[in-house]
Amino acid sequence: MPQPQPKGAPSAGGRLARFFTTENMMLAPAMLVLASVSIFPFLYLIYASLMDFSLAIDNPTFAGFRNWLRLVKDPLIFQSWKVTIVYAVTGLGLELILGVGIALLLYAAPWGRNLFVTLWMLPIFVAPVVAGLLGWFLLNSSYGLYAWVLQQFGVHTDIFGTVATALPAVILIDVWEWTPLITLIVLSGLQSLPTEPLEAAEVDGATYWQKLRYIILPLSFRIIVVALLIRSMDIMRFIDTIFITTAGGPADSTKIIGLRLFDVAFRFMDIGFAAAIGLSMLVVTIFLGKAFIRVMYGRE
Amino acid sequence: MAGTKVSSRKLITTVLIYTALGIAMVWALLPIIWMVLSSLKTEANMFSMPPKFTFKPTFSTYAFMFTEGNFGGFLKNSMIAAFSSTAIALILGTLGGYALARGNYRRGKDIAFWIISTRMTPVAAAIVPLYIIFAKFHLIGTTFGLVFAYTTFNLPFALWMMMTFFAELPPDMEHAAMVDGATKFQAFYRIALPQVTPGLVATGILCLMFAWNDFAFASVFTSHENQTIPVAASLLVSQTGIAWGQAMATGTVIITPMLITGLAVRKYLVRGLSMGAVK
Repeated sequence: MPQPQPKGAPSAGGRLARFFTTENMMLAPAMLVLASVSIFPFLYLIYASLMDFSLAIDNPTFAGFRNWLRLVKDPLIFQSWKVTIVYAVTGLGLELILGVGIALLLYAAPWGRNLFVTLWMLPIFVAPVVAGLLGWFLLNSSYGLYAWVLQQFGVHTDIFGTVATALPAVILIDVWEWTPLITLIVLSGLQSLPTEPLEAAEVDGATYWQKLRYIILPLSFRIIVVALLIRSMDIMRFIDTIFITTAGGPADSTKIIGLRLFDVAFRFMDIGFAAAIGLSMLVVTIFLGKAFIRVMYGRE
Repeated sequence: MAGTKVSSRKLITTVLIYTALGIAMVWALLPIIWMVLSSLKTEANMFSMPPKFTFKPTFSTYAFMFTEGNFGGFLKNSMIAAFSSTAIALILGTLGGYALARGNYRRGKDIAFWIISTRMTPVAAAIVPLYIIFAKFHLIGTTFGLVFAYTTFNLPFALWMMMTFFAELPPDMEHAAMVDGATKFQAFYRIALPQVTPGLVATGILCLMFAWNDFAFASVFTSHENQTIPVAASLLVSQTGIAWGQAMATGTVIITPMLITGLAVRKYLVRGLSMGAVK
């Protein structure tokens, strides 16, 4: 029989033993490395945003909040956020409509669902930079396959070189690559829907549209929100496709905020300002991440 | 009569569903098919207008890339970076994920938020501090720097995924083993780990894919010596023109292993890409 522990402060040995549990020992390496790849760079980002690196990268001078002020004053930053919002809202809107639509079609298809899902998901595996190169190749006005199809309808525009068409084109590349992800997420939601309400509606003679409007879509709401949050964080995350196709041009019409940061950092070597832009992007991601956690864990 | 009316409506619906799905498949697959076809064409065939769908395939572009260019080297660099960062992420992520799933840590939501926001940090925002730090320690252009950069997204991903896989496992068998005298670590290693092998493999393949497909980090943190294939692909685009044949062949080489391994773990794909929000 173990002796009951005397009450009072635990001995130093006991406290140590409680700290060096198997779990803590297993978790420590991951947490240390995670901190060194997240917290340390994050603090450095804040520090860098308060410094001026324009004279020498290893010898910055204190700049106060000048870089932060430029975030709101610089019209180019405002322009880039505008492009980012158009890019994100249009792209996500199209991906949502097409992605949910195709998920519903696959859900309604009596046979071959597995095969169609497999084929439909292939663009997801394509590296974004390859998706960009491919989109550029297809739409190239002198020998692109899609450009040739457009030419049969009398459209001869240089698509990536024209302000009016460059942004729609890079949006379509994103839509091509990521609509399948929305479909996959929504379809897995549809497949786990409870069958009783749908059967009851069937018995009551409900039409497909009634079932969709009153049962399927309301029950899929949470999963659609998950899909949208994941995709919006990803849109903030990547710059690859636009970097390779237009590099933000023509006339900054496709310069999303991440690309602007690249320009500021690596073309103008204004690292302090780039850090401030990075912080502002991080704020958006943090908001989206908080929302994502809330949806995932449910409201408490 | 009513029966034929219903069945003909059903037939029309079915035809409409499959027509729409057919169009969707053409939209999704034609670019990929076109890329592979173009990589097998001669210059003359590739640029012919109207575009050619039938031609005599040739592997001359691939042969050129591997013999004249340093394509094999780029391939090796990509593999080293992807496999190293995946190994680090899997080892630390599996140990840590198990601890998070089994140890009664409070503030689980805060840890979740930390992990998710690290995973989702915009690449552009992550590059800036890493760039300054790497410049200070002369890590720009080194494989170590690139692997470190990839760890910023692969470690939180692996940690999170493995945590969800272990959390789904009922702990009874591990408890039984510990009653029989196994240590906690043995219970993890001998009982829990073998049961999550499919999840571990899927997590590993997705980690490989995220690193393999990266362009932005590699474009800043590699030099000519350790350049990865996505960067090599981007360098085929130059002021004077684009080597489209090589670009399409490079693209084909980049996506083929991802298509094969990705489809092999397709059961876990949605779960991985939605950070575990969808099972």
